[in-house]
Amino acid sequence: MTLRVLDPRQSAEGEALQMAPALASLRDAVVGLLDNAKIGTARFYDHVEDILRTEHGVREFIRRRKSDATRPAPNEIVAQLSGADALISGIGD
Amino acid sequence: MKLTSESYEVTDAFEANELYQRNGWTDGLPIVPPTEAGVLRFLDAAGLAAADVVGIEPVRRRRITAEKLAIAALMAGCLPEYMPVVVAVVKAMCEPQFGLHGSTASTGGSAPLVVVNGPIRIALGMNATHNALANAARANATIGRTIRLFLLNVLGGIPGQLDRSTLGHPGKFTFCVAEDEEDSPWTPLAQERGIAPGQSAVTVMSVESPHQIMNEWTHDPTEVLDTYAAAIRANMLTYSIWEGNYAMVVPKQHRQIFSAAGWDKRRIREYIYETAHVQRREWRTVGKSTIAGLKDEDRTYRALRSPDDLLVVAAGGPAGAFGVILPPWYGKKSLAVTAPISAPKGDVR
Repeated sequence: MTLRVLDPRQSAEGEALQMAPALASLRDAVVGLLDNAKIGTARFYDHVEDILRTEHGVREFIRRRKSDATRPAPNEIVAQLSGADALISGIGD
Repeated sequence: MKLTSESYEVTDAFEANELYQRNGWTDGLPIVPPTEAGVLRFLDAAGLAAADVVGIEPVRRRRITAEKLAIAALMAGCLPEYMPVVVAVVKAMCEPQFGLHGSTASTGGSAPLVVVNGPIRIALGMNATHNALANAARANATIGRTIRLFLLNVLGGIPGQLDRSTLGHPGKFTFCVAEDEEDSPWTPLAQERGIAPGQSAVTVMSVESPHQIMNEWTHDPTEVLDTYAAAIRANMLTYSIWEGNYAMVVPKQHRQIFSAAGWDKRRIREYIYETAHVQRREWRTVGKSTIAGLKDEDRTYRALRSPDDLLVVAAGGPAGAFGVILPPWYGKKSLAVTAPISAPKGDVR
């Protein structure tokens, strides 16, 4: 006699966000940098910005900082970042 | 009632456990195989349909269905009648102020502490005395474990994936405490937090590992509380200085001292509020001099935003002047939530 047992996992049911398609090139692109408010993120993004600008020709950056690393970005910040061609979102430390 | 979970055929309970172990669907401990018949019993005990949404995780918007919670409870070793408690805990954790996503994902490695109040403790045979924070009763053990399996399988809180805990602590396996209302002179925790007398309820808080204290050399309530406050101050200096909820578990031997002196929970909270604070410069004494000087070193930081931030819980064996403080995961980023336990068909008990 066999048993049938049930899958305990819950899928996201299509609610999870999709990754945006990769850009063919970063040249002249506008890149958003979302700072998660961790202590080292701003300095890290300074380096990222420098590399993207000098080595990849990124034209413009939109930098915004969340007030709280443990919560999602508020709609106002998301709207401001929506003008970017690509977005880098900092998570963790 | 129709279940929608995918199912797998296995030869026996041993092979079922091996399947879940291989797939990372358990906490490393063996599981009770969740069969359809078993899950239906759990849903019936809670008066829920399989598709009922118990809560929505606020950040990733993941809908938590009764079916998946019932699977977790069955796997964890619960009896069906524990389900209303599990449901109340998950509802509480989905309140925005609990910060479910952050506290689950953080490197800080907290665990949800569940405190149960009301008649359901007795009905389920929950333990509130000897070994109150650890292994003593099935209901405490398995309700707490259900929450871990729920976080793991339903929310994807997999270590190294969504769960980024550096260390975690043993309370992440299971951490469910009942308050010893029958042997306490005090108002139960849930009633202090707005639940009607006689109504069962849960209080959930994201906590770091317990810090046990001991003071058996005084009958002065302020001296006893000075020991608890010292543990809180140590946590503020060595872990996190930020204010928020702290929980404090007080055993009978200490309760007798407070009771003899006429101290209720309110007075304890007020005393801890006044005494649990540090100055920023004290960081220099614990190896944090680099950051101490970045702001005004004379600034005083309190552990609590107000006396009400302290959760005082009566629990523990009858002998021993030990107590525990439970620090918050990350200041006020996650706040304790209290929720009533509903009986099947939506009644409240």
